Amino acid sequence: MVTVVHVINQFFAGLGGEDKAGVPVGTAEGATGAARGLQAQLGDKGKVVATIYFGDNYFHEHPEEAKAAILKEIGSRKPQVVVAGPAFNSGRYGVGCVEVCHGVAESLGIPCVTAMHEENPAVDAYRGYHDLNVYLLPTRETAAGMNEALMAMAGFACRLGSGEELGPAREEGYIPRGIRRLERTDRPGVERAVEMLLKRLRNEPFVTEVPVQIWDRAVPAPPLSPERQATIAVITTSGVVPWGNPDRFKTYRNTFWQKYNISELKVLEPGKWEAVHGGYNVAFMNQNPHYGLPLDALRASESDGRFRLYHSYYVVPGNQGSPSVMKRIGQEIAADLKKEQIDGVLLVAT
Amino acid sequence: MAIISAMYPIAEQVGASRIVKAVSIPHPCGDPSLPSEVDARLRREIVETALKAIHAEVKQPTLFYPNISATV
Repeated sequence: MVTVVHVINQFFAGLGGEDKAGVPVGTAEGATGAARGLQAQLGDKGKVVATIYFGDNYFHEHPEEAKAAILKEIGSRKPQVVVAGPAFNSGRYGVGCVEVCHGVAESLGIPCVTAMHEENPAVDAYRGYHDLNVYLLPTRETAAGMNEALMAMAGFACRLGSGEELGPAREEGYIPRGIRRLERTDRPGVERAVEMLLKRLRNEPFVTEVPVQIWDRAVPAPPLSPERQATIAVITTSGVVPWGNPDRFKTYRNTFWQKYNISELKVLEPGKWEAVHGGYNVAFMNQNPHYGLPLDALRASESDGRFRLYHSYYVVPGNQGSPSVMKRIGQEIAADLKKEQIDGVLLVAT
Repeated sequence: MAIISAMYPIAEQVGASRIVKAVSIPHPCGDPSLPSEVDARLRREIVETALKAIHAEVKQPTLFYPNISATV
């Protein structure tokens, strides 16, 4: 029999709605509230040993304390599986579920299953964590989908608890986590690739072996007006930084950006700049940093007064950047561009 | 914003709006095999193309080609 700890919010624990959203983390032995429904779905294959609940607001106002308290309760009970939610379309509850699962997977190594509507904002965080041990199942938007969600979660919990290896997202129905796994097959890659190509040419259905991450679609910004002198900034992912790399960028997987002042410069002299980047041969860039930050050309174009170059340039070496980190960096740079009232940007990407 | 990249098909695939075709991954804005004056003219053409791009109305990922023949 699989042992399960069920983590839910104060509402589904039966404590109350918004007026009780400030309650701290609490634990009930056995199944209570929505956990009774989970127990019913588990039947004799599993047992909810404890129900842990948190107030939706409490979790967000005290995220570190809440997470630590929940992890401590789970750690002391050592269940085989943790179930969190279902959170449906509730953002606060969804974030609580994903954060708890992430913490459990990271520090306790216990498999977790959670569930919520695909448009719950917490789904993005789940995708970004790429936790091997966490599975998020899609649900309906509202608690009308409670029974089917609990049934699906109970099924996953039993399989995870018995140590069964789960298949890929498209077969199992959980939301893809962006994890690629190696598989053995009897046929070499060239044969499979040519077969896929032929199917594609014949307009027949085929299944890719390397799904591409789906990206947000950005609406193109309106064009700049030629009437007005624009302020233009440059961003580079080439890793061109002042010689000596004062902020200690790494050659890969950077987690921050920086801007450096170029207001007094007409050109970038070799030897005063260096390219910090582990993803391409930086020899050309070190000889002539203009390949990654075309300051000489920008000063020449600026001289007729069409635009003004912003006093600094932005840089992050882009090598092996994880999409979720780069998204955050992009948002931070965008916020700074807005604050500095920059009208247009040229982004040089290596 | 205009992105200047030698990996323009990827920029197009992920939905960047204004994309300027660059020379190569280790040297997007120029070509070290060219004499330095020609290299500088090529870089200027790439930057001018990017400036044109941010002044252009676009509705979907759009590729802008620097006029390389004019620089050599």
